[in-house]
Amino acid sequence: MPENRTNALGPLSSSRTGATGLPRIEVVDLGKSYGPVTALTGVTLSVAAGSVLAVLGHNGAGKTTLVDILATRTRPSTGSATVCGFDVTRDGHQVRRRIALTGQFASIDETLTARGNLVLVARLMGAPAKAARARADELIELFGLVEAADRVSMTFSGGMRRRLDLAACLVGSPKVLFLDEPTTGLDPVSRTGLWTTVRLLAREGTTVVLTTQYLEEADRLADDLVVLAAGAVVASGTPTELKAKVGARTAAVTFPDAWSARWALEEFTRLGLKPVLDPDAYVVTAAIPAAGQIVPLVRALDQYGVTVVDLTVTEPTLDEVYLALHRAAWDTATWEAP
Amino acid sequence: MSKPRHLRSGASKTGSSKTSSSKAGSTNAEPGDEDVVGDRTEWTGSSLRTQVWVLTTRSLRAAFGDPRLVFFGLLQPVVLLLLFSQVFSGVGSLPGVAQYQGYINYLMPATLVNIAMITAMGAGAGLVAETYSGVIGRFRSLPIATGSVLLARTFADTARLAVQLVAIVVAAVLFLDFAPYGGPLGLAAAVLLTLFVGWGLSWLFVAIATWQRSIELMQAVSFIATYPLMFSSSAYMPLQSMPAWVRAVATVNPLTYAIDAARALALGRVPGWSLPMAVGLAAVAALGGGAIAARNFRRSA
Ligand SMILES: Nc1ncnc2c1ncn2[C@@H]1O[C@H](COP(=O)(O)OP(=O)(O)OP(=O)(O)O)[C@@H](O)[C@H]1O
Ligand SMILES: [Mg+2]
Repeated sequence: MPENRTNALGPLSSSRTGATGLPRIEVVDLGKSYGPVTALTGVTLSVAAGSVLAVLGHNGAGKTTLVDILATRTRPSTGSATVCGFDVTRDGHQVRRRIALTGQFASIDETLTARGNLVLVARLMGAPAKAARARADELIELFGLVEAADRVSMTFSGGMRRRLDLAACLVGSPKVLFLDEPTTGLDPVSRTGLWTTVRLLAREGTTVVLTTQYLEEADRLADDLVVLAAGAVVASGTPTELKAKVGARTAAVTFPDAWSARWALEEFTRLGLKPVLDPDAYVVTAAIPAAGQIVPLVRALDQYGVTVVDLTVTEPTLDEVYLALHRAAWDTATWEAP
Repeated sequence: MSKPRHLRSGASKTGSSKTSSSKAGSTNAEPGDEDVVGDRTEWTGSSLRTQVWVLTTRSLRAAFGDPRLVFFGLLQPVVLLLLFSQVFSGVGSLPGVAQYQGYINYLMPATLVNIAMITAMGAGAGLVAETYSGVIGRFRSLPIATGSVLLARTFADTARLAVQLVAIVVAAVLFLDFAPYGGPLGLAAAVLLTLFVGWGLSWLFVAIATWQRSIELMQAVSFIATYPLMFSSSAYMPLQSMPAWVRAVATVNPLTYAIDAARALALGRVPGWSLPMAVGLAAVAALGGGAIAARNFRRSA
């Protein structure tokens, strides 16, 4: 087992589920180029055992490349990565004994039935024939594939393929599970089902690395987030940390008339905020950069005895965080590029 | 997906199979397997023998899954053989062929090698297709040996070749007046030699498939192998009636050795140097192709 090296990335070792604090995955200065294309550059991160890491990023950011390197499907060009203490380039076989992967594109044997696919994987993982069949039956039920169990998977719909692919991942008991956009193309019921499954697995100690385009998914599932842009990590931390760092709370104050709304616009500006007035609805909105800054705002309203119809404070969403990060990443890309 | 149970714990169903499976003596049970039947945490890899067996039967099931495809697959070389032997029956009286008493006798052993070549191409094309369908991607993230996926591929295609060879030999003897003077033993030897040559060739195409993973390239190579290589060998014409430069090519064409050896064995003649040359070249193809394929297989595109 690897020694506990948490110094490099403090924020990533925290976790809200069954994490033990020991890093299951350690990535140091990882890079990958395909000829002139730099898919990954200088990626350093660490994932604690039993925690869920969500990797976010625009199309072509390098999410799949990162997952494929960690799952030993692709060799890194520079840097190193260990999974369960084993180097992905030198001890690939040991890594593969401890992981399971659902790639971005379903990897099932189309000539076999759903059951046939699961039995095949189980047999290859060392299950005796009978136990392999029993396990296949369990997973078929678990993933709602009972009706389709004995149909050749060539005829499966996209979502059914996805589910079969996920089921194939859980044939054994992987210590680390890699899911590349696992809920893309799943219907809402299957998606919530997958979320439950991921949470359950994490609680039981499985480390999960998933990539996603859905911020809601990352927010719900992940202990930690990594945002990639053009192959580099542009932000990492817990969802809460990222929201606090980038996104701002927004206060919206509704006034009964135009006069008090205009007064508030001036007063809020004096407080150092950048308020915006909606003249038709008499609503003044302002971003609150720090948690405490709502207090002087309320105090000012109270002090001058202005009538307030409504006051709401909105928490930032990960979408805002994501968009803000990407704007920043593109702005700085010119001077950050190696 | 609504009931997330049996995710990890040694589920009762799997546990109960513990006792029954040791009694049933499942085909590939290794010693000690019984101890881990109920505990999936121990399923972290299988023996090489199991891997090759499971993967080979998988490919064979796919190949023989559709009876209609199997039927037409077997019929095609018989029809080609019929056409060739009829259209070019005049060749049968050429010097160098006349001694075989009928063009079909000259042609039939070459057809065996031709089928071996076509089946070997199928091994390469199949591997490329599976790379695109994603199955290979799944295998590459499983704890199985690099070689077993490739070995299984060549074994399955060699088994497929065996069925095709037997089918065409039977059809040729029954319907096309093929007279194998070498007797059943000579014929069996010719078929076995062809199987080995086919296995060697399949490694070459598997190596190409792992090297380029391109269907277009496989098609281009297949064209060269089917037409220029087959026609510039001793398959359809005796070397002595070819123009000098084609004869020169045919003499160094490795297929000539395989065809001459198969022909000699099937027709009860002395194969001479052609037999050890054919076996040696096939072994070199298998070893060289295997080494290249194994190295390329893990490497990403
Ligand atoms: N085999 C390859 N050959 C050449 N370039 C590649 C290859 N695989 C990936 N790339 C390039 O590497 C970059 C990162 O690709 P990657 O698939 O990791 O992105 P991604 O973040 O998964 O994108 P998406 O959200 O679209 O899935 C892209 O520019 C892509 O074109
Ligand atoms: Mg991707």
